Amino acid sequence: MDVNYLNPILDATNNVFETMMQLEPKRGDIELRDEVITNNQANVIIGLTGDIEGSIVYSFSKEIALNIVNEMAGMEIDEIDKFVTSAIGEMANIISGKAATGLAEKDYECDIAPPQTVLGEDTKISTGTENILSVKLETKMGDFQVNFSMVKN
Amino acid sequence: MIWKESYKIGVEEVDKQHKELFKRLNNFIKTVRGDEDDKETKRKKVAETLEFMGDYVDEHFSDEEKLQKKYDYPDYEKHHEIHEKFKAEVREFAEEFSENEYDEEFAMEFSGRLLTWLINHVADTDQKIGEHINKVKEERGEK
Repeated sequence: MDVNYLNPILDATNNVFETMMQLEPKRGDIELRDEVITNNQANVIIGLTGDIEGSIVYSFSKEIALNIVNEMAGMEIDEIDKFVTSAIGEMANIISGKAATGLAEKDYECDIAPPQTVLGEDTKISTGTENILSVKLETKMGDFQVNFSMVKN
Repeated sequence: MIWKESYKIGVEEVDKQHKELFKRLNNFIKTVRGDEDDKETKRKKVAETLEFMGDYVDEHFSDEEKLQKKYDYPDYEKHHEIHEKFKAEVREFAEEFSENEYDEEFAMEFSGRLLTWLINHVADTDQKIGEHINKVKEERGEK
């Protein structure tokens, strides 16, 4: 997988976490996998079409999903509900929008599809490519993963 | 919703309105998430807080856009479009909400998205307006 188009997506992720949550995600383990099996509760899939085709799967643990939403809402929500998944989904959507801008600057023109949320641990998400690059990001509020499943056209 | 100093754009009248907008969205979210057994009462309360917020969205966007024009904000058209799209979404929700039976999931879904959208709009998108206005104010000797 060409890292040239991964960086704008990771930069966009860091940027949004910084402006919205004052968090600086630190890059943890990077793994190459052949499928996305999540060990996290709240997963958001975002489809990409254009010069790069495939999907980005953001995978949030219950801990970080609730911490983020509680911080934004100033509430104490203790279960992942529709409000939480929707708020997290919109966050992933904002990240992808910024990523698309960053990719365009590197001459990759892409369109992004609205976020789809998949709930539950040990869920297999089919993404259509053979190789998936999974990047772990660590923050003070908990960890999450960004899974890249994409090919260059 | 928690208001943070980092959300400020450095233009007093806008920051004041953003704070008020946060307050009204907070009311709406609290009502949507509140425990109210009676569906009709809940529906009424949600509709009220939605209208209270929606009215202020219109007022604030209009005031902010006037300010953008006054200071020749170069991204005015794009920003106006973002505002219009958002207003349309709020309107669409209000219409569907008033026409159908109270749908908890629908209200939760909408308010969750709104929460993230507004924080990002204020904390990120609107910051550029602040930078521009303050720069122009200095050039025009208003500061």
